[in-house]
This record gives sequence, C-alpha cells and structure tokens, in this order.
Amino acid sequence: MEKVIEVKNLVKKYGSLLAVNKISFSVFKGETFGLLGENGAGKTTTLEIIESLRKPTEGEVKVLKHDIVHHPKTIKNKVGVQLQASAYYEYLTLKEILELFGSFYPTSLDPIELLEMVGLKEKENSFIRQLSGGQKQRFSIVASLINDPEIVFLDEPTTGLDPLARRNLWEIIAQIKNQGKTVILTTHYMEEAEILCDRIAIMDRGRIIAQDTTEKLIEKAQNPFRIDFTATNLDNKQLLELEKIGQLEIGIGKQKNSYSLNIKTQLGVNKTLAIIHELNLQKVIVEKAKLEDIFIELTGKRIEDEEGENKK
Amino acid sequence: MKTLTKLFLADLKMLTRNRQALFWSLMFPLMFTIVFGFFFGRENASVGTVALVNQSSSDLAINLEKAMEGTNLFKIKKENNTNSVENEIKKSTIFAAVVIPKNFGSNLPDAPTKIKVIDDPGNAQSNQAVFAFLNQYLTGVNFQVQNAKPIFGLEEDSINKNSLNYFDFVLAGLIGLALMNSSVIGIAVSMNKYREDKILKRITTTPLPTWQFILAEVFSRLIVNVVQVSLILLVGIYFFKGHIYGDLWLIYLIVILGALLFQLIGFLVASVTKTTQAAESMATAITIPMMFLAGVFFPIDSLPKWLFSIVQYLPLAPLLRILRGVALENISPLDNPLNISIVIGWIIITLTISIWRFRLSEE
Repeated sequence: MEKVIEVKNLVKKYGSLLAVNKISFSVFKGETFGLLGENGAGKTTTLEIIESLRKPTEGEVKVLKHDIVHHPKTIKNKVGVQLQASAYYEYLTLKEILELFGSFYPTSLDPIELLEMVGLKEKENSFIRQLSGGQKQRFSIVASLINDPEIVFLDEPTTGLDPLARRNLWEIIAQIKNQGKTVILTTHYMEEAEILCDRIAIMDRGRIIAQDTTEKLIEKAQNPFRIDFTATNLDNKQLLELEKIGQLEIGIGKQKNSYSLNIKTQLGVNKTLAIIHELNLQKVIVEKAKLEDIFIELTGKRIEDEEGENKK
Repeated sequence: MKTLTKLFLADLKMLTRNRQALFWSLMFPLMFTIVFGFFFGRENASVGTVALVNQSSSDLAINLEKAMEGTNLFKIKKENNTNSVENEIKKSTIFAAVVIPKNFGSNLPDAPTKIKVIDDPGNAQSNQAVFAFLNQYLTGVNFQVQNAKPIFGLEEDSINKNSLNYFDFVLAGLIGLALMNSSVIGIAVSMNKYREDKILKRITTTPLPTWQFILAEVFSRLIVNVVQVSLILLVGIYFFKGHIYGDLWLIYLIVILGALLFQLIGFLVASVTKTTQAAESMATAITIPMMFLAGVFFPIDSLPKWLFSIVQYLPLAPLLRILRGVALENISPLDNPLNISIVIGWIIITLTISIWRFRLSEE
C-alpha cells in the first residue's frame, strides 16, 4: 500500500516542554487514520507539523513523498486542512469565502457543488454568524476540500456538536473517504473513532502508546469480551463466581440491577452465560470490548468530554 | 496577480460591509473637522460677542459704532441701557460690554471723554481684543483731533502671503490625525481579531504567500484612507472655507505615504500584542499622546525646547510639517530633506521590525 504520510522520530519542543516525543507512524492512501488522546497529548501539534504549519525540532516528516520542511508549498497545494475551532471571515458570504480560498490554489472545485455536498446550498449568500454550530462545522470541513486535496486533515471535527449534528458529520467524512481521499482526524470520542477510522494511533503525553487497525487494537485488549445484563435475583454465590471470571461492574442508582462483566476468554463468556441463564433476566448483551475500554486500559484514564477546556 | 486582485476586492468588500467600523473611522476625523470648523472656520476669527450700549448720537460715537460693527474680531449686540449687561456677562452670553456715555464726542463743554468697558477678568484674551481695538481706534481719533500725523508705526510683512487662519492649520493636522488613528488602530485590531479567530492560521494552511495577504490588506485600507481624507477636505473647504494652496495630487501622495507608515506601526503593534484588547490599548497609548505631541492642534515649537527636540521626531510630526508645507504654503516636500528623511526612516524601521516579528501564526 502506498504511504502518503511518513513520520519518523518526530520531536517537537516548546522551550523545555516536550510536546511530541519521538513518534513514528505512517498513513496509507485512501484510509481514515485517527489520532486519539486527551487534551495536551500532542495530537494537534503533530497534525500541524504534518500540515507544515509548525517546524519539527527533530525527525523527518514526508507528505506525498515531499519533505515538509523543504517543500511546504507543494504540500499545501495538495492537502486540505480543517483547524480546531477555526472561524472564517465575518463579512464574506459562504460562497465568497470558498471562492476566495479557491483563488489561493492553482486548481479549485466549484463552491456551489461543495456547498451542495454538505447541504448548505441555500446558505450560499449567508454569513458565518447566521449558521448553527453543526452548519459551521460542515462549512469548515467543506472549505478544506476547495482545492480537491489528496489528504484531508480534520482536527476534532465534531467537538461541541449535538449527537444529531455529529452523526451528520460522520456521513460527510465517510463520503470524503469514498471519494478516495485520505483522511486524518483527531477526536475525543471513542465511538467516533471506532465508526470512522481504519487505523488508530493513541497518544499520551507526546508519545504514541499504541497503533494498529481499530479491530486489532480491540482484540489486543486484556478483556476483549463484554457481557451486560440486568437481573433482579442475583445471589451472593453467583456474584462471587462472576467476579472470578472477569471484571464485574455493578450499576448504581436506578441501574442498581444492571451488571457488566469484562471477560478475557471465550470460555469465560460461556461460563458467564451458563451462570446467568438461570436468572430472571431482563436484558443480556454479549459484545466485543469497545475502543474506550482499550483506551482506559492503556492510558489509565478515561477521556471525558473536555470541550469546556477546549473552547479557549 | 489574480489571487492578489481577488483578495484585495474581498478585503475592500469586508471593510465596506463592516458598516459600523467604517462609519466611525470616517466620522471620527469628520467630527473634529466640524467642531473646529464652527469655532475657527468660515473666515471667522471672532472671539465672541460684545454688548454695545451707545448713549451718544455724536459723529464720533456713530463712527465708532460703525467701526465696531465692521470688525470681525468680535460680534456686536446692541443694548439700550446697562441694566442687563452685567447679568449677561455672568451668564456668558456676552463676554464684555462697551458703554459710550451720553454726549461722548459732542462739542458740549462738559462732554465725557472716556468710554467704559465692563468685562469679566476670566476672559483675558477676548478682553484684550476689545481693548486693543478701542485703543487703536481712539489713538487714531486723538491724532486727528490734534491734527498730527503718526511718525512711527508697524508694517506687517508676513512670510506667508496667503490668507491663512488657525482652521487651515488644524485642517492639515486633522488629515494626519485621521490617517494615524484609522491605520494604527485598524491594522492592530483587525490583525489580532484575525489571529484570535484563527483566520491567520487558516490562511497559512493554504499556499498563499504572506506578503500577498498583507499587501491586499494594506491596499484596501489605503482606499478607505483616500475616501477619509477626501471627506475631510470636502467638508473643511466647502463648509468652513478652509484653504489649501498646494497641489492636491501631491497632498494625496503624502497622505498615502503617511497611511503606509501608520499601517506599518499597526503591524508592529499587532506583532507584539497577543489579544485584540491589548492591541486596542497599545494603539490608543501610541496615538493619543502623538496627537498632542506631534502638533495636530497647536504648533509644537511652543513646547519647552528639550521636549520639542524629542517630539519633532515622532512619526506624525514630520509628516504634518510636510503636509502643512504643501497644503498651506505650497512648499515642496523636498525643500526640507530632514522631514522626508525622518518619515522614510520610520518606514524602514517599522517595516524591518514587522518583517522580523509579524507572523500569521506561531511556529
């Protein structure tokens, strides 16, 4: 498979702060690659170095076979960038902004067709301030496509959006991938990464602590299986047996009758099912572990929604 | 070139669509022009209104009354008696009253020889104008009565043969003020706003060269500056009878040079400040003192010598000297090379620092 991005031993220091600590990874043509991590893990810095907005302290980064330090202009012509929480000109209409940004490139796509793709055609003569949060984000993404780029960078594209707007954006991102473009995105939302990304790198304090295809990462989990069930008549003996099989979590509050068990092996799954099938069950779900479980395992912390912190 | 034109037009469009900002950047200097115009424009050097109570019907009294009506030093308000004038002086509707007593100037043996002036010591300058006028008039009359001819006198030989007044001096100053305010504050604030909104960073993700971005910004603002100066000149000359003796094209050339200098100062402010608010404060801290110290409203050579020797090098000061030289006396800007050298010196300094420090986004 053709590598469109190659990062080797990348280091970025701000004074004494080590923002990116010797990371290496590659992104292949046509895939959707996710960079996951908490705020301050180094995701945005890494992304901005690849976009040749920031200079690396050490290491080598190649985009479409061009070195980012020596050929930034060639690279900028071929990539599209959506910045985290970026605004656009206040006094230009959507169409005018796209036309203006299009004029910065040797070739550009038709603004109206792009607006149509994200359902903003009726808004072509509106100003940014007249758009909703979801519409703004859709515009921000489509603006990164104006030069028909080979690689699209999306920095937290869905942060701060309501669930419906988020789903809507997922469809757009999937559509971009279907056009054969390579997509690199950062996100807080594990569900989002699981749905969108072919491969994932998890960053923590400037390092990449895991990278693989999404499925393999999940398989590598210590407890790759998970059973959720709700029962009113679980006795202590059964409870002890279940605790031997895997990690048992008991619901709290209104959910005090619901249990979830993270299990290491297929055998464990069978044993668990044997125990609980005698119970008066209201709900049983057997599933594979989620990306979030892996993330917690690896980093020892849970990525909460850190939007408040993000909106500076 | 296509990109640059497109960007220039877009910038111009944005400047005109931001109605409020545009309105104030045009109105602010215009307000000053109008205020100063009403005070000092319209060939009107009047210091205020004087009440005249003429109780005599002699030729001398009538002639004096006519002379007082004829002067443009002050305006005359005729009163029949002295009862109300003191009250009016207290209310400041008039600043003094001239009382010509009954029979003044008549041939009667006990005719009074003194004119009375009722004044308020608070208006020393205006009072002086009235005293000087009356003294001069009465001296002339005295000579006439004694049949003598004055031997010694004054001959006024003004350097400037053109008729000029304080309003003309201020009008040129206001042009400089307008350029300074809109350029320094405009660039400093808008660049910081762009930075806060991450527009500058977004621009750097495209292959657009930084210099094209800046050039389009500068050019579009120059257009606004030209409109601004034209409005000031229009209102100053047509409504308040201001005088411009120099070549208009040359004046606009100086205006553009000045606007460039102040825009560069704006970029300088933008590169050392991190927020829009900080930029606003710093720009104000630069422009307000310069407005007074560089001679917008009064000639700076009346400042203490040590202070003058410093402030004459402020960016606005030589620009105003050049502008006034051309506008009021039709003197070539190259006549005094020091002025133009200081302006160009400032342009080089601010340009160098801006190129060194101003970045669209941090690295």
